[in-house]
Amino acid sequence: MNGVWLVALPLLGAFVLPMIYRRHTIVGYWTGPVILIINLAIAMGLWQRVSADGTHSIAMGGFPAPVGITFYVDKLALLFAIMVILGTLILWLGKKMGEVREETLLLLIVAGGCGLALSGDLFNIYVFYEIVAVASYGLAASRGTGAGYAASIRFLILSALGSSMLLLGIALIYAMTGTLNLSHLAYLAPQMLNNSVGLVAFALMLIGLGVKAELFPVNTWVPEVYATAPARISALLGGIVSKLALLVVLRLLVLIYADTSAPLLLLSLGILGVITGELAALRSSDLRQVLAYSSIGQLGLVAIAFAIPGPAGIIAGIALALHHALVKPALFMLTEAWGGQLNRLVGAAQVSMLSTLLFIVLALSLVGIPPLPGFLAKFLLLKGALAVENGWYHTAIAVVLIATVIETAYFIRIMRLMFQSKTQQTADAPLMRDLKPALSLVVLLLISVLTVSPISQSLSAIAEEAADKEVYINKTLPSDWHHLEKVEW
Amino acid sequence: MNLREISSLVFIVWLGLLLGAVLKIVAYDNILTGGVGTYILTHAAPELGAENIVTSVLLAYRGLDTLGELTVLFVAITAAGLVLGQRRTDAPSDSDAGFILRTAANLLFPFLIILGTYILLQGHFSPGGVFQGGAILAAAFFVPILASPASPLHHRVSRLVEGLVVATFMIICLLALFSDDAFLALLLGKGSVSQLFSAYSLPLLHIVIGFQIGTAFAGILARLQETEASD
Amino acid sequence: MTESAGIIILSYCGAIGLILLGVFAMVMYRHLIRIIFGLMLLEAGVNLFLITIGYRANAVAPILVDGQIPAAAMVDPIPQAMVLTAIVIGVGVQALALALVVKTYQAYRTLDTQELAQKLAKETGVDIIEGTPVYLPSPLAAHKQILEEKST
Repeated sequence: MNGVWLVALPLLGAFVLPMIYRRHTIVGYWTGPVILIINLAIAMGLWQRVSADGTHSIAMGGFPAPVGITFYVDKLALLFAIMVILGTLILWLGKKMGEVREETLLLLIVAGGCGLALSGDLFNIYVFYEIVAVASYGLAASRGTGAGYAASIRFLILSALGSSMLLLGIALIYAMTGTLNLSHLAYLAPQMLNNSVGLVAFALMLIGLGVKAELFPVNTWVPEVYATAPARISALLGGIVSKLALLVVLRLLVLIYADTSAPLLLLSLGILGVITGELAALRSSDLRQVLAYSSIGQLGLVAIAFAIPGPAGIIAGIALALHHALVKPALFMLTEAWGGQLNRLVGAAQVSMLSTLLFIVLALSLVGIPPLPGFLAKFLLLKGALAVENGWYHTAIAVVLIATVIETAYFIRIMRLMFQSKTQQTADAPLMRDLKPALSLVVLLLISVLTVSPISQSLSAIAEEAADKEVYINKTLPSDWHHLEKVEW
Repeated sequence: MNLREISSLVFIVWLGLLLGAVLKIVAYDNILTGGVGTYILTHAAPELGAENIVTSVLLAYRGLDTLGELTVLFVAITAAGLVLGQRRTDAPSDSDAGFILRTAANLLFPFLIILGTYILLQGHFSPGGVFQGGAILAAAFFVPILASPASPLHHRVSRLVEGLVVATFMIICLLALFSDDAFLALLLGKGSVSQLFSAYSLPLLHIVIGFQIGTAFAGILARLQETEASD
Repeated sequence: MTESAGIIILSYCGAIGLILLGVFAMVMYRHLIRIIFGLMLLEAGVNLFLITIGYRANAVAPILVDGQIPAAAMVDPIPQAMVLTAIVIGVGVQALALALVVKTYQAYRTLDTQELAQKLAKETGVDIIEGTPVYLPSPLAAHKQILEEKST
């Protein structure tokens, strides 16, 4: 099977879903999950193929790079594609029947997300980014309340500003190099983009991608949207979609900006994100907001990891991203019943012991208590940052440690509330429908505890492969484009 | 002045300075001879046989972007439908625009259709193209709605056309996928330059995309117009 | 040659002017419709910037004449194709923005972002300090709120 199907299949499914729903509601309800399962199988098959034969690239329409658009299939891209597909599939569990438009938009987010992971062309990345963005504005407002609309329009305005900046950055890169293909750019970058204009272009693209990645100055939509959107949507946006934007940033850093000061820019935004996110989480008095701010902090950690040069940073970044993609959606699913002021949680342990236990396991993993995988992810980050001979990275270590203390503080505060005995107020018991995704995510988390050593081995293989710029160029760019001087055709 | 206004102004000044500095470098050095654009200028006609090189970039070299653009329109329509919700059947509609406008709109309809289709097809060899033609087609459908809001365009029909057009586009792509193992590959023969059915499957894609853009625009406008009426 | 360089500079200046005006309108105005107009200006500016990148001195449109490549230089076709795509994407985003504005107005009877933010804050408990899209998240306001809660 071809990697294109990862994008084409959900796209096709989204286009025909409304027509199927008009005929048979039940068939329509199962169309989405079936497409996602097939997609998952395709991604697994591709994974096998890539592990056996190495990476490959696909030329759209038979036009090879850099003239046509190419997809680059490597383990990193497949890992993130699987994360999107599996995450959406798990969040589909226990979904209400008959929400045609939500399901269409979910399938389109999967298509756009797989496209973002695979695409090897800057402008194509912009187009897929817009697909994901527009679908998420619609989903953010899907609760149908006035607050949802207001939060969504404010999200849209900030995000549209960011998208324009992204396009401006891409335009600058095209003006400097005359190409949009990542492999061609990787070939040309050391000569053509290792200057101030190249850095400006990176800063502009970082503003654009940072809106979805919840990076420091452009993350103000996060608490509003997560407080008003349905829990499933918050879980999808905060847990999964945000990582895809960071994946694009990582590709840019590895392929184009490896030897510049661009990683330091990402590092400083990451540090600021961790500090502001965790402090705000400590101060907020609403469970949804605590989780929203903590997700800003966690994504700041991923940004710090991706800013570490070489495979060490990529390993830590992937580990943190995957861990967060398991834990945060599960936590958000619990807020469907427990959202709102924190003191509504008083006595939650008596009402529903199962959900309380789930919350505790997830929170401990997020903080990084040793047997749980969150510890391994944070440990990898600290190890990677220590190895770099640069004061800024050592500052980052201090910030990460302080942030961990703050995280522990606010999660312990919440747990204490849960075990307080009931007064007049009682916490609601979460519905089984909402607990299903959380339970499956926790099962995945516990499986990963048991299989730590194979996971860390495959993570380092993925990172080695992703950090290899030469392979990307050789597999994608035909050799008659391997020249730096401008040629008259 | 509060913190937000100050930081916004700082951002604007930063952006202005950056772009000003970029201008100095880019503007004098923009004659790129080795870029991808130059390659396409010299190779598009022999490879594809299309006269309008922008069209061949849009539909062949960067066809996936165009598919993505159609998808964004589809997403926007779906999301707008989700946000605006269903129209109540007893909702009052805007008042009628009057005899003159109504008649003029009805008179304009066939001409706009012909003009839109002409520009759409003409885009294959000369200025014009899918986007411009599609926008005029959308206007053809929307002007009558503005003139008499009480009898809006039948939703079912427009949705059916929309769905059919997208499905056709996807089927063309899928056929191409199976014939050549590459998405959006070119299907038919090359033909000779400056005939309508030349340049592989480009004309087919051309027509399909033009109609898709037209119906999508009309769909978005109609949906917005309906909410206003129901308020 | 100098004349065409002048055109290019002028076009770049126009594009940068539009971009700055658009960003200014988006971050400084409080009325949602004005903010969306700012977005339109910004998108127009970015598109003009792209078109100008592809422009060459004394060049013609990239269309063959009688099947022959014209003798004069042709402008770069890729930015033009990118702009066509970007315009359609922009239209989709703006349509959705207007739909959301209609529903927001129906719910709150105001389009002022600061009033909206205050109403949102009352309803959801989100600590929004400033009423417009771009601001720095500040834990100070949340701290103030906690102090108030303790005192009451």
